[in-house]
Amino acid sequence: MSKQVSTAIISALVPGLGQFLLGERYRGSGILIGFLLILATTLWYGQPLWYLSPLSIWLWNVWDAFHLALGRRHSVLLPLAFGLAAAYGIGWQVVEIDFSRANMERAIAILRPMTRPDFIQPRRELNQMWVPVEVPCSSQPPAARRDEGGRAAFVMPDCGRVSETLIVSVSGLWPNTATDIYWQTPIGNSLMLGEGEITMLTLPTDENGALTTTIRVPTTALVAAPDPTLPQFHRVYFEQSRPIGGYELSFIGSEVLKGALATVSMALMATGLAVLFAVPLSFLAARNLMSGNPLTYAIYLIVRTLLNILRSIESLIIAIVFVVIVGLGPFAGMLALALHSVAALGKLYSEVIEGIDPGPIEAIRATGANWLQVVRYAVIPQIIPPFTAFTIYRWDINVRSATVIGLVGGGGIGFLLIELIRVNNMRGVSAVFIAIAAIVIVLDYFSAKLRERLV
Amino acid sequence: MLRIQNVSKTYPNGTQALKNVSFDVADGEFLVVIGLSGSGKSTLLRCINRLIEPTEGKIVWDDVDITTASPAELRQIRRKIGMVFQQFNLVKRSSVLTNVLSGRLGYANPWASLLGIWPQEDKQRAMQALERVGIAEKAHSRADALSGGQQQRVGIARALMQDPKLILADEPVASLDPVLSHSILQYLEQLNKDGITVICSLHFLDLVHRYATRVVALKDGVKVFEGTPNEIDRAKFKEIYGEEAQEVRAASL
Repeated sequence: MSKQVSTAIISALVPGLGQFLLGERYRGSGILIGFLLILATTLWYGQPLWYLSPLSIWLWNVWDAFHLALGRRHSVLLPLAFGLAAAYGIGWQVVEIDFSRANMERAIAILRPMTRPDFIQPRRELNQMWVPVEVPCSSQPPAARRDEGGRAAFVMPDCGRVSETLIVSVSGLWPNTATDIYWQTPIGNSLMLGEGEITMLTLPTDENGALTTTIRVPTTALVAAPDPTLPQFHRVYFEQSRPIGGYELSFIGSEVLKGALATVSMALMATGLAVLFAVPLSFLAARNLMSGNPLTYAIYLIVRTLLNILRSIESLIIAIVFVVIVGLGPFAGMLALALHSVAALGKLYSEVIEGIDPGPIEAIRATGANWLQVVRYAVIPQIIPPFTAFTIYRWDINVRSATVIGLVGGGGIGFLLIELIRVNNMRGVSAVFIAIAAIVIVLDYFSAKLRERLV
Repeated sequence: MLRIQNVSKTYPNGTQALKNVSFDVADGEFLVVIGLSGSGKSTLLRCINRLIEPTEGKIVWDDVDITTASPAELRQIRRKIGMVFQQFNLVKRSSVLTNVLSGRLGYANPWASLLGIWPQEDKQRAMQALERVGIAEKAHSRADALSGGQQQRVGIARALMQDPKLILADEPVASLDPVLSHSILQYLEQLNKDGITVICSLHFLDLVHRYATRVVALKDGVKVFEGTPNEIDRAKFKEIYGEEAQEVRAASL
C-alpha cells in the first residue's frame, strides 16, 4: 500500500494522526483538537445542518494527509473557515438572536418620556390649606373646621369611619384653579382620594375660590395606626399651584446633581486613596529596582502577582463584596474603586519606574550628590509627570466606573438611576443619562488636555 | 596628578572590560582615550569617579586614594570631578537652569536642595556658566526643547557648576552632528587652558590630533598605546582599531 493511501486511512480513523506521524506535529494535533472541539459543540448544541462542519473538516483532513504524504502542503484556511462557520452558527443560536422580538410600542412608551428629561421645572407657588378630621369618631368629636390667612375649610360631619362619605368644603383659595384634594394620616402618609384611591382627586375652584365635594375616608387610612379603635386626627389637604415665571431645579434634578457630585467625589476619593497605596507598591513591583537579590526578586514576584490578580477582578464585583461589608452607599463603591485602582495604578507606575532613563541618575551621582538628592533631582522629575498623567487617567476611568457601581448599591448617580428605573420614572432616567454623559464628556476633555500638557 | 594603577574591571556577567590598565595624568593635560566601541573607554572614565567600582587596582588623585574612599569622602571627591556624557544625561523634563544647578548639589545644603531652594549666589553662578557656553537665553526652557549641541553645552555648564579640577568627557561629541564637534570641544579646550585637567574619549582621529596633548588607546580593555597624538601613524591606527578600520574625518569648521 502506498504511503499516501496509508496516511490518508490513518487520518480517516484518527483525524490529524497521519499528519502527526509525518512529523507535522502542530498541524496534526491542531486538526485533532479542532475537529473534536467542533464535533463536541455540534453534538451538544447543534442542529443537523451544523454536522456539515465537522464532516468537512474530517474530509479535508483525509485529503490533506494524502497530499502531505506526497509532499504537498496546503493552507489551513479552508478547515478554519469550516470551523468558524460552525462557531458563528452555534453562536447565533446560543445568543438567541431574534429581531422579531423587538417591541416598538413598549420602546416608544419608554422613549417618549425620555425626550423630556426631568431636570428643571417651571417655578410654581403653592397655596395649601388643610382641615383636621377625627377617625374613628370619639364620643365628643371637636369641630372639623379651620381658618387660616383668609381661608376656611370644614368637613361634615366632624368625624368619620373608614369608607364613610364626608362632605368637604374650602373657601378663600385662588379662583378657577385646579385643586388637588388628598388625605394625610397622623404619621404623615399621603393617600389619594380619586378613582379607586390610586388617582389624585382634582377639582377646580369656582370664581370665588370656593369648592365643595364629597370624599370617602380612604380604606387604608388606619392601616398603620397602632390601635384602629383609638380616635386620631387625620387631615384633608387642598393644594393649588400656579406658575410664577422662570424655572427651577426639580426634585429629581436636585437628586441628579447630588448623585453626580457623589459620583465625582467617590472617584476622587478612590483615586486619592489608591495613589497612597499604589506609589509604594509600584516601587516593589518594579523589576529594575527589585531584581538585585533573590529576596527582593521574590517580593517583586509576589507583589506583581497580587496586583495582577486584583486587577483582573472587575470593580463592580469588588463593590458587591464591599456592599456586604460596609453596607449600601458611596463608601462601598469608593472602597471597591480604590482597591481596583491600587492594582491598576501600581502596575502603570511600576512600568514608569522600569522605564526611567538611567543617564540622569548617573549624571547627578557624578556631581557628588547624596542618595536623596539623586532621587529628588534625577528620579522624581522623570516619574512625576507620567505618574500624574496616569492618575488623572485613572480618575477619569473611576468616574465612569462610579456611575455604574451604583447599580449594585455602591451609591452615587448609578444608585439613583436604578431606583428611577424600578419606579419606571423614565423622565428621571433620561435626566440621569444626560448627567452621566455630561460628566464623562467634560472630564474626558479636561483629563486629555491635562495629560497632554504633562507628557 | 591622577595615577591609575593596575585597574581591572570584571562585570558580574563575566565580561572583562578593563585589564590591568595603568597610566598617569598630569595636571592641566588634555588626555584623549581612544579605542573601538566596547574597548573599555566608558568603563575607564567611570572607574575614575567610581560610578563603576573597579574590581582591582588603585586610582590615586592628588595623593588621595579614590578607590578606598568612604561614601562621604567619595562625594567630596566627585564634586571636584565634572562629567560630560555622550547622551548629555540631562533631566529632559526639568528646566535648563535646574539641570545646571544640579551640578552644584555636592556643595549645596542638602535639605534646602531637596526642597528645590537654591542660594542666589548659585543661581548667579548657573547663569554665568550658561553665558559661558552661550545659551543663557535658554535658561528657562525645558531641557528637551534644546538641540543636541545646546543640550551638550548645558551638560558642560552643569560640570562647570562643580568648580571642577578634572573633567571626564565620555564621547562628548559622538551623539552630535559632526559639524558641531568642534564647537563643543572648543569649550573643553578653553576650560583646559584655564587649568582644568580634561580626560576625554573620542572617535575621530583628526579631533584627537587637534585637541589632545596626550593619547591613551584601549583595545579589548588593555592599554595598547600611550603617547603624543603625533605618534599615531597609519600603522599605529591599524593596530588600535584593527585591519578593517578606515579613518573617517570629522567635518572641519
